[in-house]
Amino acid sequence: MAFFGLDRVSRFFNLIKENGGFRQSLYKLYRQNDLKSGTLVGTDKLGNKYYENNEYFLGRNRWVIYSPSLGTDFDGSAVSPAWFGWLHYKTDIPPTQKEHVQYSYIDTTPSPNPTGTNKAYIPYTTGKPKIQAWVPPTRS
Amino acid sequence: MLQAGSAVRGLCKAIRPSAPIVKAADKAMAAHALPATLVLSRSQSNKPVVADNRVEVFVDDIPVMVEPGTTVLQAAAMAGVEIPRFCYHERLSVAGNCRMCLVEVEKAAKPVAACAMPVMKGWRIKTNSEMTRKAREGVMEFLLINHPLDCPICDQGGECDLQDQSMAFGSDRTRFLDPKRAVEDKNLGPLVKTIMTRCIHCTRCVRFASEVAGVEDLGTTGRGNSMEIGTYVEKMLLSELSGNVIDLCPVGALTSKPYSFSARPWELRRTDSIDVFDALGSNITVNHRTGEVLRILPKTNEDINEEWLADKARFACDGLKRQRLVAPMVKDSKGDLRPCEWEDALIVAATALQEANGSVAAVAGGQADAEALTALRDLVYRLGGQHVCTEEVFPDNGSGTDLRSNYLLNSSIAGMEEADLVVFIGTNPRYVVLVLPCMSPTPGAWCWCCLVCHQPQHLGDSSATVEQLCAGTHAFSSKLAAAKRPMIIVGQALLGQSQGGVLYAKICQLANKLRGSVEPSWRVLNVLHRVASQVAALDLGYKAGVAAVRQQKPKVLFLLGADEGAITRSDLPADTTVIYQGSHGDAGAAMADIVLPGATYTEKTATYVNTEGRAQTTLAAITPPGYAREDWKIIRAISEVLLCVFNVVAHEEPMNVMLQSVGAARVDGSAVLRPALLQLEDYYMTDVVSRASPTMAKCIAAVKKEKSNRYHSK
Amino acid sequence: MAALRVFTISRLVPQDLLRGSRPLLVSSRRSNYKDVSMPEPDMSYGAITERAATTIFWTELARGFAVTLGTMFKEPCTINYPFEKGPLSPRFRGEHALRRYPTGEERCIACKLCEAICPAQAITIEAEEREDGARRTTRYDIDMTKCIYCGFCQEACPVDAIVEGPNFEFTTETHEELLYNKEKLLSIGDKWEPEIAANIQADYLYR
Repeated sequence: MAFFGLDRVSRFFNLIKENGGFRQSLYKLYRQNDLKSGTLVGTDKLGNKYYENNEYFLGRNRWVIYSPSLGTDFDGSAVSPAWFGWLHYKTDIPPTQKEHVQYSYIDTTPSPNPTGTNKAYIPYTTGKPKIQAWVPPTRS
Repeated sequence: MLQAGSAVRGLCKAIRPSAPIVKAADKAMAAHALPATLVLSRSQSNKPVVADNRVEVFVDDIPVMVEPGTTVLQAAAMAGVEIPRFCYHERLSVAGNCRMCLVEVEKAAKPVAACAMPVMKGWRIKTNSEMTRKAREGVMEFLLINHPLDCPICDQGGECDLQDQSMAFGSDRTRFLDPKRAVEDKNLGPLVKTIMTRCIHCTRCVRFASEVAGVEDLGTTGRGNSMEIGTYVEKMLLSELSGNVIDLCPVGALTSKPYSFSARPWELRRTDSIDVFDALGSNITVNHRTGEVLRILPKTNEDINEEWLADKARFACDGLKRQRLVAPMVKDSKGDLRPCEWEDALIVAATALQEANGSVAAVAGGQADAEALTALRDLVYRLGGQHVCTEEVFPDNGSGTDLRSNYLLNSSIAGMEEADLVVFIGTNPRYVVLVLPCMSPTPGAWCWCCLVCHQPQHLGDSSATVEQLCAGTHAFSSKLAAAKRPMIIVGQALLGQSQGGVLYAKICQLANKLRGSVEPSWRVLNVLHRVASQVAALDLGYKAGVAAVRQQKPKVLFLLGADEGAITRSDLPADTTVIYQGSHGDAGAAMADIVLPGATYTEKTATYVNTEGRAQTTLAAITPPGYAREDWKIIRAISEVLLCVFNVVAHEEPMNVMLQSVGAARVDGSAVLRPALLQLEDYYMTDVVSRASPTMAKCIAAVKKEKSNRYHSK
Repeated sequence: MAALRVFTISRLVPQDLLRGSRPLLVSSRRSNYKDVSMPEPDMSYGAITERAATTIFWTELARGFAVTLGTMFKEPCTINYPFEKGPLSPRFRGEHALRRYPTGEERCIACKLCEAICPAQAITIEAEEREDGARRTTRYDIDMTKCIYCGFCQEACPVDAIVEGPNFEFTTETHEELLYNKEKLLSIGDKWEPEIAANIQADYLYR
């Protein structure tokens, strides 16, 4: 089979099966430009799913499938900071195995880059006004 | 005539370059060795030195000829070699307790402290030898045992002697792992912040307080590791010179409270300028950043303020940011001031001035600059007005203000050091201006009326005392007559009185009499002004006092920063239009119909003439806020709308008027001479800027609270 | 004529002698030349025919297409970016963040060393005493469009307050959005603290 390359055919059908049938596979191809199979390592708060398959070369062996809630409007910044290091190969230990530091002030709400939305950051000064003007007394 | 001529030269005299350090050091050493004989030793130091008894020493093999008694440190300075020091300061007595100035002297067994050791003939001083280097490194290591490493949060960081010298002379690693000592911070009031853990016990602040400021409140307690600087008991540093200890402190133990944490020295821009909070004209450096004045530091000028600065000049700069006029304002139909465009304000102002038909008058306040004064005077005269006045009063009988020497501190501020007897009449030099701090008397010794320096003596507090002095019947008169270089300094409490003219005339006569017995170049009569603009205004032909305006009842009154309430709405007819031009909203702006926003002294390049007649220039450090503009430009813009453009002239020659004989006028009754600024809390708020300053308000509150302190000495 | 004579004589002098005298010469002697111009085409019939066939039948084009076609059946060597991401170092210098102590107290003490060292002058700090007497900033602005991401600020910081975090996905549609103020930087710190702490931990031996 392998000699004739026919195992690729069965692998192709397995891939479609793993990705949830033809319809789903077509949607994923449309959305991700790629169909991959791997083990689910974890899911973050936003619903992004993190996969690993070490049969791919380094750089392709870990990937994220963005949460369906993002639709096609996904962005690289939707990856949660907890998974960032694992996805960028800084560490091989996913946050499901080792918890990160947890301080009360840490903000874990998912916040993809808000530019272009009405939640976009608008700069303002946090300093104090330098001049305090005199306000004339009114007669009233 | 001779007086007037020299005074013109005085006016034209620009800021002189400061004297060389070595000379200053000599003077200070001599002066502070024995404070009681301060004046005497000063006059001796002026005598030419006999060159023969000088000794030769070698600093790093450079031969130097020095006078006997010169310290190693001074000799090294003469050779151009700088020896590191913490406790030594040119204008303070020698303490010799930091040991940083240790140097090797050939054939001496141990390194010697350069600041305290007088040189001997033929000494070979080695400031760069192995022994010196090791001694410095050792001393630095000891100093750093207990000094916290909190440079990142220390306000001194970047301008710290300890930081610089440990970089230059210290070791690059520490051997001490033990816990450091911590010292409780002292509360010295709202101006000086203390972080006593950083203190290296150089005692500069202690020496400054007792030798220069005249408050014996600071001192040391404990010995060795438990030594602390403090006020012994919980009390505030009650001095109007307290800010100078911040400059003196070589580390960050004493820092400025209002300036705390606000900037770093490397990010500040520095503009040399002139202080206008009093008539002294202290040289200052305005430290600013991003269009904001952050702090004001003294600039050395040996002839005026040496290197000290009064607290108001130093700390009232936060008043420059508050209560500012940022846009022109005109009264609307309801009678409320409304901000408007410059064009509208100028047209309204010009229309009012035109329609007044010559019934125009102007009153200048205490911080007006010479350029604006000139422009305003020219405008008023051009419109047919008669009266340009200053708020500050000066008697006009006799020769009045026609003769320049009548209203100047003639013997100059530096000249006061040569005086052997100073009589202050109707002024409190401590709070009116910072006159030579070393001459400022100890607290409790200054008094209502007359005061004699160097053995402060209270002569009396009524005009009768002055009359007795003038008549020569006072017990003190014989001393006055015997003095070689007497000085009579007359202040506002005398001049501003109803009888001021007569009294002043009598003092003039007394001064003339005394001049017979002193050397011809010596001036006896001196006037100590209170506000910075007064001398320039009088030079430019302004009339002192607003009595003439009150009588004239002008249709348009132009106030140039006049906020002291010399003239109020009740003095004027109801239809008078009041134009106020100035930097701050205060009494003047509140009574005005048209408000034109001007600049403060940090925002304009302008000329001020100090009480000794010295013309000096402020430099614009920042731009005026909002729509505010430089003052003379505003007046010129009005003149342009009025189509009567004139040339702006900075200064005019004061008028030469013949000396008129002083009439034999009599004083009616006896008036009490009471200087307006008698208590420390009176000192802090005297003008629009300091009245707008929150720091000054805090000072007043703190001083008042201090009065209820049981340790407070009356 | 005399000059020419001297020249020809010099050509006759043995080469070893000339090499020995080289230190005395003002200019070095050049004996090796390289021809860098296009080589003359081979004008044999075979070569000419070959060239003509290449031009007429577009064989180079066909070979190029063949390479492309072959690559389509290979595994791609690129990564599919927003889903797959490249390796990053713990020292990666990305978006700035202001950190806090575990208690939630902001670390920055307004020492202004970062402002001083910033070569692009992208940092602006204003500070004053907080109510409790602590030294804190009232304004900490970084112009991310001025910043050159050199990392000097985080090296200068004595309290590890300003760090360049791992995030690089902060592109914006407008310029203003990149003028970060103190609250924005603190919120970035609050979001990225787990990752920043891990990076500092990973690098502790070299700090």
